[in-house]
Amino acid sequence: MPLLPSARAGTPVAVTGAGVVSPLGNTLAAFDAALFAGRSAVRAQSLDLPGIDLPPVPVAPAEFDSAAELAPSRVPLDRATAMALAAARSAAAAAELVPDGFDRDRLGIFWGSGMGGAATFEATCRTVYADRRRMRPTSVLTTMPNAPVAELALVFGARGAALGYACACASSAVAIGEAMRAIRAGWIDVAIVGGSESMLTPGVLASWQAMRVLAPIAAAGDAAAVAASCRPFAVDRAGFALGEAAAAFVLESPEHASSRGATLQFALAGYATNCDGVHITNPDSAGQARAMRAALGDAGLDPGTIGYLNAHGTATLPGDAAEAESIAAVFGARAVPVSSTKAIHGHLLGAGGAVELLAAARALAGERLPPTAHTGALDPSFAIDLVTDTARPAPGLRHVMSSSFAFGGTNAVLVASRA
Amino acid sequence: MTSSTFAALSSVLVEQFHVDAGAARPEATLDQLGLDSLALMEFVFAVEDRFNVRIPEDRLDPRQAGVTLAHLARLLDEAVAAKPPRDAAAA
Repeated sequence: MPLLPSARAGTPVAVTGAGVVSPLGNTLAAFDAALFAGRSAVRAQSLDLPGIDLPPVPVAPAEFDSAAELAPSRVPLDRATAMALAAARSAAAAAELVPDGFDRDRLGIFWGSGMGGAATFEATCRTVYADRRRMRPTSVLTTMPNAPVAELALVFGARGAALGYACACASSAVAIGEAMRAIRAGWIDVAIVGGSESMLTPGVLASWQAMRVLAPIAAAGDAAAVAASCRPFAVDRAGFALGEAAAAFVLESPEHASSRGATLQFALAGYATNCDGVHITNPDSAGQARAMRAALGDAGLDPGTIGYLNAHGTATLPGDAAEAESIAAVFGARAVPVSSTKAIHGHLLGAGGAVELLAAARALAGERLPPTAHTGALDPSFAIDLVTDTARPAPGLRHVMSSSFAFGGTNAVLVASRA
Repeated sequence: MTSSTFAALSSVLVEQFHVDAGAARPEATLDQLGLDSLALMEFVFAVEDRFNVRIPEDRLDPRQAGVTLAHLARLLDEAVAAKPPRDAAAA
């Protein structure tokens, strides 16, 4: 029996703008084109670590010039923060949010990041230990996990809240959901929300490789095989690629959105977060199922109303097995169409929840479901309806779900509805 | 103040701190160029690295935003002149 956390549970929050910087592109049009075609951005990257011989890893980089993004603080920007600014500026432009057009005491920033300024931190360590050069006076401000939050607050003049969330792969889903709660509770009217991550540096990539969760690729592998190396829910799945991205949304109370005549892109209908409380990496299907049921309860929706689930789907052996079990437990066997778009944009860690909510929202907008690329044969032990090969038409699609399950056991589930 | 020192200061300001080339005049103070105390410290670090010198801390408090570019250039010239020949001891 899901608990309704407040009297305003079930009240949708308006989403009036979205922006993205991602391996699939930096506009919604480019994102859609790759998403529905199942076009992979995964490629091989060699690990430049002197004296350590490691095989290359699969990565999904974004085409993005971080030098073009100016910081309001003038502090040098980590690449993830630059991506955050670009995505949030796009979202605000799409929402036609004019900085002086509303009460910024009632504007909040809610942002997720898994590893903060990991890439810059690694570079600064090289500066000290390898190059024997000094740390910059701004090193702390560039690498702190809330650097995107701080810069976004300056860009938009936010005075209501500026909060960063670090819960690994669930970070941005939690940030979005907590902003939704803050708006529902009446603490703020508007929020710039989302997440960013960029950590495709040798030290970070080698750390993930050492966990044996990255899809192995041959040293001299052909590009097509590397692009197809992440195969979620497949019988021959072998892990994921790491990607880099940022995605942002403008959230508003329905009253605020209508008072300024904003166009609703979609509605955020439900959110829940909980924790497995079992193991630092092994997922727990019972915890996941509780989170999905609680999000449905928060939205006031029955499982049968959900027309698409963008799964966490990391393509690891235990991860997909636990998730297939929890999906079947909540929705019934093969009862809801599922895909994992990580196959083409990689695991985006702190940005993952936001990018995957965007993928689910684009499914709502286009009334079609993105495929799980590269998954030829579904694991026969999984009782799920996996969308494979090509996009599936979904006329009349009304409600979608996106789930994020993190290291540390944090689960976060978002439900979005047609506006 | 040598003209090459001033030119190097200007190029750091333009390239790394997005200052208009025309605004970087010798008599301009760093706060007039829009550098707050934090940006000012980054700027001093950047020019020290460019010249491979350290300006002694008692000669320049980087929080003094009233410092002019001409003054900073003179301090750099002094620091360069005071520096021992490169790697003489290590050779």
